[in-house]
Amino acid sequence: MDKSSHLDSVIKTHQITKEEQLLKKHKEKNKEVKEALEKKYEESIYSPFNSGSYAKNTAVNIKFDFDMVCPFKRNAFGSNGTLKQMYEDVFDFLYDKYKDEASVRKQKVSIGIEFFADEDGDVVKIDVVPGRELSQDKYKDDENLNLYVYYKYGNFDQGSERIKTNVEAQIKNIKDRATKEKDSIRKIIRLLKVWKNTKYNYPTKSFFLELITIKAFDNKDVSGNLWSKLETVLEYIRDEVTGESFSLKDPGNSSNDLIDTLTVSERQTLSNDMKNMLERIEDNDENIKTYFPENPKFIEEEESDNKYKNKGNGFYSTPPKTERFG
Amino acid sequence: MEDKLKKVQSIISSLDKVLVEEPFVVDQDLNAVGKVKVIYNEIGDALSFAVKVLPEYPLKRLNAEAITFYNKELIEYGHVMGDGSICIHTAHSFDVKKKLEIDFSSLKRWIQRYFVNKEHDGHYEHIIMQPVKYKDEHHSFIFTDTEHTFQYGDFGFFDFAQIHSGLFYDTKINNRIILNFKDKYSKIIASSKWSSTYANLPSANIQFGVYVFMEKPPVAQTRFIINNWKDLQGKVPAEFFTFLHGLERNNQKAIGAPIPLIIGYKISETEIHWQAAMLEFGRFPIRHEKINQMWRGFFIDQKIDWMITRNSSYEYFFGRGKFTDEITNAKILIIGTGAIGSMVATTLVRGGCKNIHVIDHDVKEPENVCRSEYAFSNGITNKVNELNEILTSISPFVEVQIMDDQFFHVHTKVFNRPQDLKGLEKALNKYDLIFDCSTDNDLMYILSQLSLRQLITLSITNNAQALVCGTEPSHYSWIMNQYENVLQNDIDDVYNPTGCWNPTFKASYNDIAVLVQYALKNINVKMGLQKELRNFVLLTNENDAFSIKLEEF
Repeated sequence: MDKSSHLDSVIKTHQITKEEQLLKKHKEKNKEVKEALEKKYEESIYSPFNSGSYAKNTAVNIKFDFDMVCPFKRNAFGSNGTLKQMYEDVFDFLYDKYKDEASVRKQKVSIGIEFFADEDGDVVKIDVVPGRELSQDKYKDDENLNLYVYYKYGNFDQGSERIKTNVEAQIKNIKDRATKEKDSIRKIIRLLKVWKNTKYNYPTKSFFLELITIKAFDNKDVSGNLWSKLETVLEYIRDEVTGESFSLKDPGNSSNDLIDTLTVSERQTLSNDMKNMLERIEDNDENIKTYFPENPKFIEEEESDNKYKNKGNGFYSTPPKTERFG
Repeated sequence: MEDKLKKVQSIISSLDKVLVEEPFVVDQDLNAVGKVKVIYNEIGDALSFAVKVLPEYPLKRLNAEAITFYNKELIEYGHVMGDGSICIHTAHSFDVKKKLEIDFSSLKRWIQRYFVNKEHDGHYEHIIMQPVKYKDEHHSFIFTDTEHTFQYGDFGFFDFAQIHSGLFYDTKINNRIILNFKDKYSKIIASSKWSSTYANLPSANIQFGVYVFMEKPPVAQTRFIINNWKDLQGKVPAEFFTFLHGLERNNQKAIGAPIPLIIGYKISETEIHWQAAMLEFGRFPIRHEKINQMWRGFFIDQKIDWMITRNSSYEYFFGRGKFTDEITNAKILIIGTGAIGSMVATTLVRGGCKNIHVIDHDVKEPENVCRSEYAFSNGITNKVNELNEILTSISPFVEVQIMDDQFFHVHTKVFNRPQDLKGLEKALNKYDLIFDCSTDNDLMYILSQLSLRQLITLSITNNAQALVCGTEPSHYSWIMNQYENVLQNDIDDVYNPTGCWNPTFKASYNDIAVLVQYALKNINVKMGLQKELRNFVLLTNENDAFSIKLEEF
């Protein structure tokens, strides 16, 4: 089999545009939440904007959500207002507004709104990240924000008053690259997200996978066809992630090192998983299909026909090849 | 014989710091016997030992060394038996000279550690005793932990139940387990922590005995059991004599019937041990005497016939090896109890698992026996019922429950709307660990849609060339891809029994068990390290020597 064309199909079947209806519903809800926040906080807030995978163009259509950053002015909650007050105020507002149609939860630095499934069974998820500019009216210039840490995030303890970040810088980290490279980086990130989704609660965050992919592109010659590029990134992760001095600096805040979001043993597991994956795909190309599965919902008809071609079909005296024994 | 004798004597005399005190002679059993002196310090202090060398020497007699060193004066020291023999374990050799050197150096090491340094081993050394027969038969009493803390002076009744009888060497042995302890008014104060199978044995199997709890072990010279009733005087409370006397008086019709007495004592802060002796109604070894107008009880001057007791608490039962706690403490479901499922079940139970539910709709036929844990003697019977019997006969600590065989069919095939699957997911999430050994692809597909705590799906290819173990959420597509595209599954070469078309795979017990054990070992290692399980395949290779390769995904 041709590994690169399989990977192309993986990306194609995971495009969020395939989930047109769900995407439309997310956009609508996103607009509604944004307008509600603007109405509520009026002069105290800058315009909320999308961050996360949708903004970075690295989203996949399984388990996708929208992230919305709400930049508040320094004095939004009084000149002595705390970040905790900001976080709690936004939570209370969203909770009151949406409690009858969604579950509203406090998350690490965001407030998660998960709308109940509609008549089509679709679930819209929006994470609202409240942030406050560092000093009055400086946001437009420096784009820096302080976030409130609701519970432990990497090296930031629960209840920490601040975690400085620059969401614009995070978005630009991918957006500002040369088109060709940007395209490859996004593809690899999407593939890693598809892989991550085959695991139980994998500890690597999407942001981690983004940064490590970009770092691999910065440090290695990532070239050739799609498989070859992916292989280089997987090898980079395998070889580097356990290194003592390995770091993954948040482009929005260089003192935020994303490697700290994993324990030593989780780093080892990630490296082992990369090693196993590379070895198994080397053993047999077919194994790539289960590490990076296509989204079966969007496999095109002609492909489906080929997929189920006759390989021992249970024709009278022999059981099918997929007959398992025990 | 004479030659061997001379050789032994001459070698011993040549050993460093060993002197022959009494020359070796051959006794009527053809053993070489003599006496030696072993010098153990610089100033020439020595210990004497009688030495007996059996004709097999330097080979062993059964499991025992064919040389023994005796000194009755040393019995208060560690590792000395009641007859004064020193308990040494030494290396094997075919050569008499080498073997004597080895054995004497073991003896010297014993002298240094236990005589000179007076070392005490950390672990408890059980009392040295020789069980005797009661009416030409042996009787054993097997006990386990209870929640109760016994105190010095406690006494009362206990219930015991007969399990299988057998042969103890050349004598019949009646095996009993202790079920509970009662106070002197027959109120239960402590139940043994056996599984419900044993706790609820039929009442026809149940008899009673009496117990008393002492402050210290019933021993003389630290490790040797007291062998005369009168030597137990003062070690039990005065009321115990009244209790025994009343019991005997109220059971006049039982004269001549045996009743066991068990004597308990602490062997550590948390552990207790019991020794059993058989009494007989009408001949209790006690007497009463009026002293200062008060009746007082005494033990009489009579030999105690000690029976066999064994501590079979969970810690002892699995003391030699078990699975990691992550597995043994898990609530486990095994779906499908054919070749793989039955092996998984028995291995988990021998590994210390305590809570296992099983489900299978199939009936065991004679031809299933050759590659499963089932037995011919049980004939044609439901697999789950026979497995339940096998598992509970292996371990007295496992609770086995048989699930309704229609459970999965109803939940997955009759009702399979999304809301039904939520119900199934909830029902299955009471299990920490589910082994799907059903090889049912429909069921595997449905289970793959659920979010379960830990599902492990096991199956093999024809001829047991590979074992496929799915452990991750995506296991359905992964397993199907292995069978369809990656592995060799030679489905032309299946076994067709006579009669209606019903082919099955080819593989022996050994072919399957070697892979099942390997897989369980890997699961045990990963879970013990608290690592996430990954899908894996075991690939066999028979090209030259047999080998197994684990490929983790």
